[in-house]
Amino acid sequence: MFFLGTVAQLAWIGGDMYFRFGSAVLLVLAISLVGIVLEKRNLELRRRLTRQHYQTAVLLEKHAKLRLKTQRLGAPQRVLKALPPGQLDQRPARDLPPASIRSGPLLPWQRQLPGPVHGSP
Amino acid sequence: MECTSLNRRLAWRMRALIAGLILMWLILAGRLIDLQWLHQANYARTARQQRLYVEDIRARPGEIMDRDGRLLAMTVSTQSLFINPSRLQTPWKTAQQLATALGGNADQLFARFDLHADKQFLWVQRRLTDAQARRVRALKLPGDVWGFRNEYLRQYPQGPLAAHVLGLRDIDGNGRGGVEQSLDRDIRGLDGKRVMDRDARGHVLQVRDEVDAMPADGRSVRLTIDSVIQLFAERELDDVMQTWKPRSCAAIVLDPRNGEILAMASRPGFDPNRPAVDSDHAWKNTAVAAVYEPGSTLKPCIVAWALQQDRIQSSESLDCENGAYRMGRRLLHDHHPYGRLSIEDILVKSSNIGMAKIGERLGNEGLYRSITRFGFGQRTGIRLAEELRGMVRPLKQWNAYSTGSVPMGQEIAVTPLQLIVAHAALANGGTLIRPRLVMHSQNPSGQTVDRVSTFCVKPAVANWVVRQAMQGVIQRGTGRKAQIAGVAMFGKTGTAQKIDPATGRYSATRHVCSFVCGAPADAPRVMVLLVVDEPSVGAPHFGGTVAAPGASRILENALARTPRTSPSLQTARK
Repeated sequence: MFFLGTVAQLAWIGGDMYFRFGSAVLLVLAISLVGIVLEKRNLELRRRLTRQHYQTAVLLEKHAKLRLKTQRLGAPQRVLKALPPGQLDQRPARDLPPASIRSGPLLPWQRQLPGPVHGSP
Repeated sequence: MECTSLNRRLAWRMRALIAGLILMWLILAGRLIDLQWLHQANYARTARQQRLYVEDIRARPGEIMDRDGRLLAMTVSTQSLFINPSRLQTPWKTAQQLATALGGNADQLFARFDLHADKQFLWVQRRLTDAQARRVRALKLPGDVWGFRNEYLRQYPQGPLAAHVLGLRDIDGNGRGGVEQSLDRDIRGLDGKRVMDRDARGHVLQVRDEVDAMPADGRSVRLTIDSVIQLFAERELDDVMQTWKPRSCAAIVLDPRNGEILAMASRPGFDPNRPAVDSDHAWKNTAVAAVYEPGSTLKPCIVAWALQQDRIQSSESLDCENGAYRMGRRLLHDHHPYGRLSIEDILVKSSNIGMAKIGERLGNEGLYRSITRFGFGQRTGIRLAEELRGMVRPLKQWNAYSTGSVPMGQEIAVTPLQLIVAHAALANGGTLIRPRLVMHSQNPSGQTVDRVSTFCVKPAVANWVVRQAMQGVIQRGTGRKAQIAGVAMFGKTGTAQKIDPATGRYSATRHVCSFVCGAPADAPRVMVLLVVDEPSVGAPHFGGTVAAPGASRILENALARTPRTSPSLQTARK
């Protein structure tokens, strides 16, 4: 109220020119502040996006390394050596695991190759 | 007068000054035209190159799995260490520190730093282990001297299992041998590119938002190989190598109903995780990249074709001349003297004379057609780059010797894969099927799209050869040592003499022993071929003694793992 009162008083005292000038400055200032807020928010989102990309890559890499380790530990060459003949269930697996470890990326930023996938389940 | 003279000099100086100024402006304008018009493109390109830095984003190669989804090959990310030798202040101290962290030789490292002292980039070691990378970071070397770059490392979690089938990826990510090479385009994916702005010193200012080309990871491939059957096959080969000390040996396990390779192994072998350790000889996949004379294992194919062409009848018998038969100038012998033998017994006893007489009935042209009909002399079409086409000479080069030699498996050279595929054609009722290592591609409606097969012989003929003659080989013939209790199996032994390089004649001591078998005889679902090249210890060196026992053990284990109805056949029927 005080602010508006002051402006009105100035307009009454100094005329229209000061009022217009002050309004224009305030408008520019307000637009600039909104722009800065939006820019900061945009940068923050981009930072989060980049961090998610990085975290996805790190997790996928960890997953790949752990998968490699489990496959090494469960390799028939290793398992069949330890067990006496006849004790191992030799039936083939019924539920096949997914063809690719990267089947569900957090962000689909990679393009797909055209054409059929060999041996897709 | 003096005033006039002064005015003239001034006027001349003014003109000279104006001319000089004009000349200077002309030169500047010319240079401007040179910069902005004549060489504009070159300078713009140079400026762009100096300002922009394009980095490759490597695509992650796809995985290779066996038919049950076990990983045979996969890719993990590792770090590679580089330094900038031109910025090294204390090269000897750095070399010592890095050698300690990496477990290398400080003198050699220092020598490399010294040799490349004027360069700005030098690989110290590529694909470090996690522990090595941690130790290097702990050194806290100056930031502008060293760095890590992420690189992919191909790993083979099953170790040397199926190494020849897989091949490997070299340090630059190129497929070398096996499936890695033949399916390289699919597996390696497409690299992408990322553009960055940099300052005059080469420091990256920002990574541009737009990516020139996004990377596309390689496709995963599911093979028809069964890791457990593969392991059984490789263990049998190891036993054969230990017992008979041959130059090499190979085994193939195949489903004759659809041509799927269940196992393919060769010895000597190698570990794709440590490729530098093994000898060059170990890299050869002898199942597809080695040829040999098939010997008696070819006989069932010749007999089947002769029956198909009505040149012989399954009920007739031929005189085997009591073990010696003259063909022109050549005297043929059998291992044992036989009188009259039925067609079935000619195969069961593996009589060379009986086969020579069948060869006479077919003639050279008929023999040639029989061989090409079963796929010999041409690649089977399996997706392995190293596959050979074997050796079948043009018909015009055949002579009277060929009529007696070819029916007993001489004068032609085949790969083990060609041989088992030909026998698979007999086992599945007469259809020659293209063998395959990769599970079928299917169209959206679930139909198989890449199955290739050609008619070879009539089902009645194929069934007679398999269920009568080849089953007889196991029950009462040369393959008795391969018998499996409770399993009706069929097979054929082969003992081929090798050429002695010193004399140019067939050697009495060098042999290729082979055995091809399958089961169950009434509806074959597994076939096994074991080929042993030049066994050097023990005796006797026959297909029935050297190769048959191992092949039957592989067959027994493979039968336990193979369903009566294969999944791909079920899909095809649907």
